[in-house]
Amino acid sequence: MAAPMELYCWKGDYGLPSVDVDCLTVLAYAKFAGAPLKVHKITNPWRSPTGTLPALRTKEEGSLSQPSKIIIQLRKQKYNADYDLSAKEGADTLAFVSLLEEKLLPALIYTQWVDAKNYVDVTRRWYAENTSFPLNFLLPGRMHSRQMERLRLIRGDAVLEPEEQLEKELYQDALECMTLLSQRLGSHKFFFGDSPSSLDAYVFGHLVPLLKIKLPNAKLQQHLNSLENLTQFCSNILLLYFPSDSREAQSRKAPVHTDGGGDFNNEPHKRRNQILSVLFAVAAMLGYAVLSGIVTIQSSRSELGEPQREDRDEHDDEEEEE
Amino acid sequence: MSLAAEAFVSQIAAAEPWPENAILYQPLREDQILLSDCASSLAVQAYLRMLGLPVRVQCRANAEYMSPSGKVPFIHVGNQVVSELGPIVQFTRAKGHSLSDGLDDVQRAEMKAYMELVNNMLLTAELYIQWCDENTAAEITRPRYSSPYSWPLNHILAYQKQWEVRRKMSAIGWAGKTLEQVYEDVSQCCQALSQRLGTQPFFFNKQPTELDALVFGHLFTILTTRLTTDELSEKIKSYSNLLSFCRRIEQTYFESQDRDSQLGASDYSKGPSLM
Repeated sequence: MAAPMELYCWKGDYGLPSVDVDCLTVLAYAKFAGAPLKVHKITNPWRSPTGTLPALRTKEEGSLSQPSKIIIQLRKQKYNADYDLSAKEGADTLAFVSLLEEKLLPALIYTQWVDAKNYVDVTRRWYAENTSFPLNFLLPGRMHSRQMERLRLIRGDAVLEPEEQLEKELYQDALECMTLLSQRLGSHKFFFGDSPSSLDAYVFGHLVPLLKIKLPNAKLQQHLNSLENLTQFCSNILLLYFPSDSREAQSRKAPVHTDGGGDFNNEPHKRRNQILSVLFAVAAMLGYAVLSGIVTIQSSRSELGEPQREDRDEHDDEEEEE
Repeated sequence: MSLAAEAFVSQIAAAEPWPENAILYQPLREDQILLSDCASSLAVQAYLRMLGLPVRVQCRANAEYMSPSGKVPFIHVGNQVVSELGPIVQFTRAKGHSLSDGLDDVQRAEMKAYMELVNNMLLTAELYIQWCDENTAAEITRPRYSSPYSWPLNHILAYQKQWEVRRKMSAIGWAGKTLEQVYEDVSQCCQALSQRLGTQPFFFNKQPTELDALVFGHLFTILTTRLTTDELSEKIKSYSNLLSFCRRIEQTYFESQDRDSQLGASDYSKGPSLM
């Protein structure tokens, strides 16, 4: 048996195995099909072999990054979650995936990236806090403009309409789409029979971020929460297939192997580092002022600044340059 | 438009019956219209014919710029203008004409899903072949698209449109596809439609729905349009139930109705026939 294929994904948070729709879809499909993947959960898309996430690195075909291509590749390796589907069910899968892509996806992009409050308070913040230093200034803005452009092109407008009008149209489609999915699912556990298929992976990937990531403008969430069978469907999958993510949101441990690089070792300390560096700067400035005689202080006070300086020197060097 | 104003308008729409002088606008049939626009236009015509609502087809060189959404076709009914099949279906439903009232919830969900399948795969494939396959774009698409305009506007508009479509393809992840892969997608889509149709006369048994109109519009147009190669129509021809489905709708809603009502040649806009 050859070495397992490697999958690169955005890392998880909010109790999700990943924060990105496409990554979630692929992860869910791989779980459903039982594919043994080596999963790298990273926060830097430049580290992925294709420059985007998700990406699957294979021996024969190079690296793939579209979810549909990754799923086809897994299928070729005999990891097929759709094996039991009839031809008609296969056709239904194709149709409902189209429905998701045409009706729900634009609204998802809108609610995460275009809606000003959601973008500033949640999306931008998450990406800025979770990517490492020079990238955290660059990446959220770049992703933002790319998603805006994508939405404009999908809709085929010359310029994006003003927010209110656009939001109304997109949400109308999205709410209808969710209702249709809920009607199609009915009281079943999965869309086709008792075992999950690729359609379940797509629906899960598109809906579960809405369910778990709390946004200030939450019209889509409210509607989804009113559709009990769909919320049940998502939390079931989360519980059955991603138990370690759903159990504790705050745990940073990924269920499979993570590449253990410096990516998130320093993350929980970021805020602390910032405060320390500010303190250090203030101490240095005061120290300089005192030493050069700009400010004179009673000798009993000036000792305070000195001892702090030595133990923080090493890891504060780079922050100082900001 | 605010919600209240919209509700008001839809009430007016509901109150007024369908007028006799409704008009459907599309680009020039002989020299200008492209495969994808022709398919969408035919789908709307088939839908209105299934409902038995009269509409007169008008060809305008600037139809694309007349349309409120920038997409053809659009209909002018009373004092309202509505473009594209989806909104037109909603509009007719507000007036009390609907093809899908007999369906249950699951069937309606499936119908909507299959309509999006056609839009997502067939329509996108048509656009890809028109604008991204350089042979087709140079020989057919750009000359036809720009036929009403003189130099240099013809080149500017055609390349602008091509640029826009290509950017859309890269936004939805189709830019890296080869022509072969696109044909493969069309084939996959047709297989799904063929499976779904089975041996029934329409997608949801005895009664036609808007899905039937949409599928007919696209398949019939692909079958009767000459492109640089006929590979696209060959993909459809391998599914015999889809072929007979197209013939059945053509006979029921286009030929017999035209014979009955003795419509003049100018109202008959479907183009060549399958027979």
